[in-house]
Amino acid sequence: MDEAQLIKGIQQGDRKSFQILVETYQPMVVNTCLGIVHNQADAEDLAQDVFLEIFRTAEKFRGDSKLSTWLYRIATNRSLNLIRNNKRKRFFQSIEETFTGGRNRSSEISENRADQPDQNMADQQRSDLLHRAIDRLPEKQRIAFTLNKYEELPYQQIAEIMEISLASVESLIHRAKKNLQEQLLDCYKKKCV
Amino acid sequence: MNHKSIHNDLIFYLDNELSVEKRTAVEKHLEECADCRSFLAFLQDGMQVIEKEKNPEVSPFFYTRLSARLEEKEESQVQNQWVQLVQPVFFSLLLVAGIYGGLKLGSNASSPKSDQHVTSSIQMLNDFDAEPVESFLLDEL
Repeated sequence: MDEAQLIKGIQQGDRKSFQILVETYQPMVVNTCLGIVHNQADAEDLAQDVFLEIFRTAEKFRGDSKLSTWLYRIATNRSLNLIRNNKRKRFFQSIEETFTGGRNRSSEISENRADQPDQNMADQQRSDLLHRAIDRLPEKQRIAFTLNKYEELPYQQIAEIMEISLASVESLIHRAKKNLQEQLLDCYKKKCV
Repeated sequence: MNHKSIHNDLIFYLDNELSVEKRTAVEKHLEECADCRSFLAFLQDGMQVIEKEKNPEVSPFFYTRLSARLEEKEESQVQNQWVQLVQPVFFSLLLVAGIYGGLKLGSNASSPKSDQHVTSSIQMLNDFDAEPVESFLLDEL
């Protein structure tokens, strides 16, 4: 079944077509979300939201771009929205902590650590360091870098997904790498890992 | 090449994005400089995280969960459709009943029959005609 038939089936509410679409694109969508949110459970939840949106809005898909481009676009937008919401929550939590003495935050951290008990400390620190560095990148740099590194997409496809020029993608990825290197160098000098 | 320019280029060196001349210069410097070699190893370890994280194993129940959520959504959509249909009908009936009730009350209030009824009830409450206050006080004595 090709893309057009798949979409036509979903537009008619065919569950079998939808299942084929999910099974085909599920690793790609989860991997993209994971590259941005850095948490497996959140990435899977986001991927589910992406597929639900596809099922709900399939009629709007005109076939101007590739199905994968549409999926990447929804996945990156939803992931960024989650990060924005989390930032907002953390802001209000920090206000709450000033009154409660920080009890809530410590319990959250211990829960996150318990998610990955088998990872050793050095690996965990290294992965935290890289995630923090990626999270500090401006949104556009983060998206371009994630699509290039996690999904290994060529610059041309990233340009289509982000609806920007090829030169802009090149510049975004170059700046993202420079920023990451600066942050890692800073950490290396301070011996933070 | 100095340390700073080497540090600025190492991430591109790792990704094979340097020109041949630059790459040769970086490799030459790395042979001589232990600190830059150490930073390169640090950078490499950091970027390796991405390789390890890539393509995670997704839960085998992914589609089952998704399908359940889809059905849940469809059910709530059907319910919402019912609510959308019933709600305006209910409020229209309520409005009509309100208007009808108001009209009925208004017509009762303006009829002369009801005026008479109110006057007679006031008269019944007015005991002064039947028993003046003076006689009442005298009886008490």
